Amino acid sequence: MNTTFHKSEGYKIIEQWMAAKGNTPFKFQNQTWIKYHNGYSGMVVAPTGFGKTFSVFLAVVIDYLNHPEHYKKGLKLLWVSPLRSLAKDLAKAMSKAVYEIGLDWEVAVRNGDTPANIRRKQERLMPDILITTPETLHLLFSQKKNSRWFKTLNCVAVDEWHELIGNKRGVLVELAISRLIKLSKRLKIWGITATIGNLDEATKVLLPYEALKTVMIKAKEKKKIKVISLLPDTVEVLPWAGHLGKSMVSKIIPIIHENKTTLIFTNTRGQSELWYQIILEADPDLAGLLAIHHGSIDRTLRNWIEDNVSEGNLKAVVCTSSLDLGVDFKPVDCVIQIGSAKGIARFMQRAGRSGHSPYEVSKIYLVPTHSLELVEAAALKEAVKEHRVEAREPMVLTYDVMVQFLVTLAVGEGFRDDDVLELLKATHAFSMLTNEEFAWAIQFITQGGNTLKSYEEFHKVVKDDLGVYKVTSRRISMLHRMNIGAIVSDAMLLVKFISGGYIGMIEEYFITKLKPNDSFILAGRVLELLHIKDMTAFVKLSKSKKAITPSWMGGRLPLTSYMSHFLRKKLSDALHPGIRERELKFLHPLISTQSTFSHIPKEDEFLVEVIHTKDGFHLFMYPFEGRLVHEVISALIAYRISKIKPLTFTIAMNDYGFELLSDQEIPIDNNTINQILSKDNLMDDVISSINAAEMASRKFRDIAVISGLVVQTMPGSNRNNKSLQSSSGLIFRVLEENEPNNLLVRQAYTEVFNQQLEEVRLKMAFDRIAKSKLIIKNSNTFTPLSFPIKIDSLRQTLTSENLDKRIKRIKRIQNDVYRINKS
Amino acid sequence: MNFVEQHINLQSEDLIFNSLRGLYWKKHDALIISDLHIGKSGHFRKHGIQITSNVQTSDLKRLSFLISHYRIRQLLVVGDLFHAEMNLDMHEFNQWRLAHADVEIILIKGNHDRLKPEIYQNFNITCCKKDLLIDPFRFVHEPHSESDAFLISGHLHPGISIQLKGQPRIKLPCFQVSKSYLILPAFSLFTGLNVSESDSETKHYAFTESSFFEF
Repeated sequence: MNTTFHKSEGYKIIEQWMAAKGNTPFKFQNQTWIKYHNGYSGMVVAPTGFGKTFSVFLAVVIDYLNHPEHYKKGLKLLWVSPLRSLAKDLAKAMSKAVYEIGLDWEVAVRNGDTPANIRRKQERLMPDILITTPETLHLLFSQKKNSRWFKTLNCVAVDEWHELIGNKRGVLVELAISRLIKLSKRLKIWGITATIGNLDEATKVLLPYEALKTVMIKAKEKKKIKVISLLPDTVEVLPWAGHLGKSMVSKIIPIIHENKTTLIFTNTRGQSELWYQIILEADPDLAGLLAIHHGSIDRTLRNWIEDNVSEGNLKAVVCTSSLDLGVDFKPVDCVIQIGSAKGIARFMQRAGRSGHSPYEVSKIYLVPTHSLELVEAAALKEAVKEHRVEAREPMVLTYDVMVQFLVTLAVGEGFRDDDVLELLKATHAFSMLTNEEFAWAIQFITQGGNTLKSYEEFHKVVKDDLGVYKVTSRRISMLHRMNIGAIVSDAMLLVKFISGGYIGMIEEYFITKLKPNDSFILAGRVLELLHIKDMTAFVKLSKSKKAITPSWMGGRLPLTSYMSHFLRKKLSDALHPGIRERELKFLHPLISTQSTFSHIPKEDEFLVEVIHTKDGFHLFMYPFEGRLVHEVISALIAYRISKIKPLTFTIAMNDYGFELLSDQEIPIDNNTINQILSKDNLMDDVISSINAAEMASRKFRDIAVISGLVVQTMPGSNRNNKSLQSSSGLIFRVLEENEPNNLLVRQAYTEVFNQQLEEVRLKMAFDRIAKSKLIIKNSNTFTPLSFPIKIDSLRQTLTSENLDKRIKRIKRIQNDVYRINKS
Repeated sequence: MNFVEQHINLQSEDLIFNSLRGLYWKKHDALIISDLHIGKSGHFRKHGIQITSNVQTSDLKRLSFLISHYRIRQLLVVGDLFHAEMNLDMHEFNQWRLAHADVEIILIKGNHDRLKPEIYQNFNITCCKKDLLIDPFRFVHEPHSESDAFLISGHLHPGISIQLKGQPRIKLPCFQVSKSYLILPAFSLFTGLNVSESDSETKHYAFTESSFFEF
């Protein structure tokens, strides 16, 4: 115990204030306060619901009470949170505390929802505490004379750091801190995070500054989670995805009624729309008590739903990761997860949405959509028991964010190149930045590209006589401010009733495929499309029974590598399940069928099934690495086989394995298999087997928007920048042809390797396979493991044909398996 | 330059679709193109978006090739010859115009062609405000349904998208033909493709560098 601290005036005031409310501080809160008092920066690791906010916030309050002379008029604490929805409640809680403690501090929120008059008022006099987002903070940097606001700052708190570290928003935070630390000499930086697999790294990424004293404080408190699998009535020996869905609804309804409020998590927006319909059909009495919540539903409607959950007016909400985080709902005492959660961290986060107050148990039901998902349930249980959570890898050398940041500074106060280079290199993300790369970025924003002549008239950023880089054009400043941020969404249209009232948003690509009078489902309602104008789709309620559920892009969650590990382990245990493993015991008929007709792979084995049916020759492999990785591995295996014997394959996959189907015999035997699964020339073969340029072009979409090459259209806008519209694909092609050294193009390829191909994970998988015992089984029927893949709809065709031939072939069979959008 | 041709008979006239994005009408020694968007890359650069002028250079090269290949006398542009304001890209166009001074250029004005009349005069371009009738065709920028004659137009940047299940879709530019109109692909490569729905009567002549495909 730190006696001087506990004798301090500030601590006594807070202790009394808490005691009056019947609270005593958690140990980690106390530790945070002491460390802050002693001049530390740091990272607080605590689960939701244990007052992690009050650890850092009260540390600043106590310090102020003890040393008011260290604080100046203006901004004292800057609270950066990735979640807009949290800000209001947070401000309310802080304001209340500040008032009760007897301080005259003002707490304010500033984000995209803040009205212009409030923003102007803040700019005249900043509040004492400002709660904001990374994007809005960068927007502040783009204002004239903005540094005066930050000179008084004592502390920056970065909330939910685990949500930021793995993406480009995290890089925005790193850059902001690097700038703030230069503006305010006595600045302390505190991060708050949930448990992730790489806490030490996460701390270093936020706090790479050697001059700071840093510490990590871990809460001992743990959320207790109770995991219950819902078992179907019977086990089908040949399971297939989605099949179980409807039959499980009869088990879900009683759970909804037994509990006060239930959150029902699905993995995609499309699934949530489906389950909303299924549940209402099964129990019409729930009408009005059941709501649907996902990212494409209008914000006001979502806010309404959130308020009603808080007040306990709803029995259940079908939702997606849109409710993974955010406001804590007191009445929620039960969570249902439909299908696999694909990751341990996500699963625990979702479970934690129920039984919110400390020491209450979180209760989560797992509903399998096919029998094999019960193996995942068993795997999740084990992972939760072992407290193993995935790591979140920080992003580095994101040139798009760097380019955006440089222009942001140039729009704001302007910058000198040596200052900003130092600022960049101080961050984790750009610590490896070379002078050449920096010089390229400066050239890119001042001259456009390498060849001077072809970029005449380009004056985005200009260097003035004093060596300061500035944006002088008002129009360019305006365009840039509209584009600040690192969240890039697909072009979205507002969906609005013709009679007035918004319903939500929908991807442009989906709605443009519909014809007027077509029906589709959104927010649980069947809607008829009337017409589209100004990025808005006008609809009315439809009487039609048949409607299309939109398949939103990017809906598929990747299976994390930790989950893969536990999955393989549980499957290998499945023949001899432990006494408590009711999921595995339930699955026994399926497992023993698999074992009789083929094999159950042990942890050190790799299973290959060769199955011959009247459809042709099937090759199944089971790496258990998740669909995204299987996409790459399957293309690679197809490529390697086609080097032995030229074949055309139809490819299908799920999270467990993949299938290659050919009309001719596939040359797989004990001799070829080692060559086909070899880890030699791995990446070279991968590159030959995929279309990297096409993948990079898709990755370039985000990069183009973040770096300002594509002007984003806002839903509902009338496209007032119409003459500046172009697609990122077009710009990618132009840059590849004319500027082969462009770093943004290079970044697109790097992102393909790191995120799409998951190079590291791929190498590890092949290392593992190389060490495994390879088991080849032949069969004339599908096995329990292969059947769901066979049935799964996602199919790919890999051929070595050229484009012309491919189109000819598609034309020939256009009414069969393939679909042509004549458009 | 690699290209392919597709012969077609419309209203008893022999026409050729060229995969370099032009329509050749031998009877009049004419090349018909649409949506050249001169000055577009310059317009982007002026607004702080890094697009090289090489884009325009390659468009003009392709146009020069078509002109000399078919030895045409007449170039008909059915709209959007210029993208926006006067900018430095115009110098290059001026050079190009001087090199092809013997070709008559007729422009049917499009929604982007908003420059002052003197500018067109200086480039020696004859302008038609609305449309131009050369029997049996009426040339116009935006297609519409109230015409007595068969329409040849541009504006829409027509394309088709082909999807193979589980694979990224392929988009190709096309010539779009129905009973009453022909819509030309955009000539400039720095343009997007419009792949919105059309009725089943409409034929699409999509093309790559080496083949035409009829859908």
